[in-house]
Amino acid sequence: MDLIQFQAVGKDYDNQTALRDITLSVGKGEMIFITGPSGSGKTTLLKLVYLAEKPDRGAILIGDVEMETLREAQIPLLRRTIGVVFQDFRLLDNKNVFENIAIALRIRGISEKEVKTKVFDTLKMVNLRHKADAYPRALSGGEQQRVVISRAIVADPTVLLADEPTGNLDPGTAEGVMRIFKEINARGTTVLIATHNRELYRNTGRRVFTLDSGSLVGEVRG
Amino acid sequence: MSLPYGATLALQSLRREKWINLISVLTIASALLIISIAVFVVYNIDAATRSLPERFSMVLYLDDDIQKDRVDGIISTLRRNSAVRSVRYIPKDEALRELKAVLKNSTYVFEGLDENPLPDTLELKLRKEAVGPEAARKLSDEALRIKGVREVDYGEKFLATLHSLRTGAKTVGIVLIVILSTGIVFVCYSTVKILFYRRKDEIETFKLLGATRAFIRAPFLIEGGAIGLAGGLIGLIGIFAFYYAVLLRLSVSMPVFKAVLFPSGLFLFLPGVGIFLGVTGAAVALGRLRY
Ligand SMILES: Nc1ncnc2c1ncn2[C@@H]1O[C@H](COP(=O)(O)OP(=O)(O)OP(=O)(O)O)[C@@H](O)[C@H]1O
Ligand SMILES: [Mg+2]
Repeated sequence: MDLIQFQAVGKDYDNQTALRDITLSVGKGEMIFITGPSGSGKTTLLKLVYLAEKPDRGAILIGDVEMETLREAQIPLLRRTIGVVFQDFRLLDNKNVFENIAIALRIRGISEKEVKTKVFDTLKMVNLRHKADAYPRALSGGEQQRVVISRAIVADPTVLLADEPTGNLDPGTAEGVMRIFKEINARGTTVLIATHNRELYRNTGRRVFTLDSGSLVGEVRG
Repeated sequence: MSLPYGATLALQSLRREKWINLISVLTIASALLIISIAVFVVYNIDAATRSLPERFSMVLYLDDDIQKDRVDGIISTLRRNSAVRSVRYIPKDEALRELKAVLKNSTYVFEGLDENPLPDTLELKLRKEAVGPEAARKLSDEALRIKGVREVDYGEKFLATLHSLRTGAKTVGIVLIVILSTGIVFVCYSTVKILFYRRKDEIETFKLLGATRAFIRAPFLIEGGAIGLAGGLIGLIGIFAFYYAVLLRLSVSMPVFKAVLFPSGLFLFLPGVGIFLGVTGAAVALGRLRY
């Protein structure tokens, strides 16, 4: 069963076409990769899924819901089923690591007690338990990235969108992060990873989509 | 027991943006203090002039040599008039006695008078609602149409002045309250708008993580309310300080001020008014922002 479908999707920014005629589908529980050179449209494609951008052409379906038909008030509910590792992190610099991760749960109205356990569990998964009280500016790039990953997975999303999730990580740590993604995927979460890093999908046997200048130019098995 | 998260965010923002918030609070407090002083002044003008109408009376001068039964006829006609509370008949002899009593040290005025120069009169007290320039004129016209009534005197000027003093004070008071309340709403509106823009990135992140509009709005509404509440409390302290430190002290040297009334119960609403105006300003700001 397909969870995410792109049907002839196009997206323009101002006077530039970022995506053209993209048709692809991702099955429920699948893990796929999106690769391609800088500026090829990977981030844009993910943004269309979490509704940070709207397509100019074509249709996007999640489950059997056509995104165009969503009412304003339904958008937050859809976004709560999606965890996003933003390429630009989007950490709140006036809140510590714990609070940055907890916010994803607070938005969902989850009780304080459950917030504590879930946040600490997730921090343990990314080996940042000892940094719970630190502020983002006091963390290394790799540590910040792992906080973002924690925030994306803490609420057990149905879909995980990871935009260059290992961009700031050494190979060892990157491998650790990939192990977490595989674990989450094994538990049923559909995972989309945008990356330059061939190492992430090499020998995974997963589908890898290649973008170039906004067009889908290839689909191979990693 | 932890606060709802919206309140936590509001508290953090109050602390982080303390200068903007402090300036807003002081502005609101000043405006509420001015409103309170206006209410105080209008309240006192109203109280000082409220009992005057009860003492107000209208005097009807009757024809010379009028017959007693005609006078009774006039009195019963007047009693039937809904604006009239009471009628008192003052025969001219009694009127002269009263006059002589008043002028007892200057009785020479009356020397050489062999006839009573005063007419018979009727003194009317009016019902409270009829004490106004228009109602009084209407009654006066009706009285003049009654046969046997020669002249009516009711201190037209005094009534008109009193009336315009009361309505004038109330109008100025209401206009001032409306302008300053609008000003307070505007201060909260601007403050919340500034705070909102300062946190635009954070709000965008909240939204992307799945926050509802209510979740995003709550801290700003709470913050607007808190600013209004703080302004109201300082305004309350201000008006009580004004009363105890200024008025009570003045009344020691100038006893006129002893008559001044302080509607303290009314001012206890100030914090509530502050919250209401603060939340309103925040709501207006949030309603006009795109997010
Ligand atoms: N908000 C925007 N406004 C205008 N143009 C944009 C915007 N976001 C992206 N673009 C343009 O759209 C194209 C695709 O950008 P996108 O961020 O999707 O690329 P990417 O594949 O994620 O690149 P990278 O690997 O560097 O992250 C680029 O040419 C970029 O300049
Ligand atoms: Mg990108």
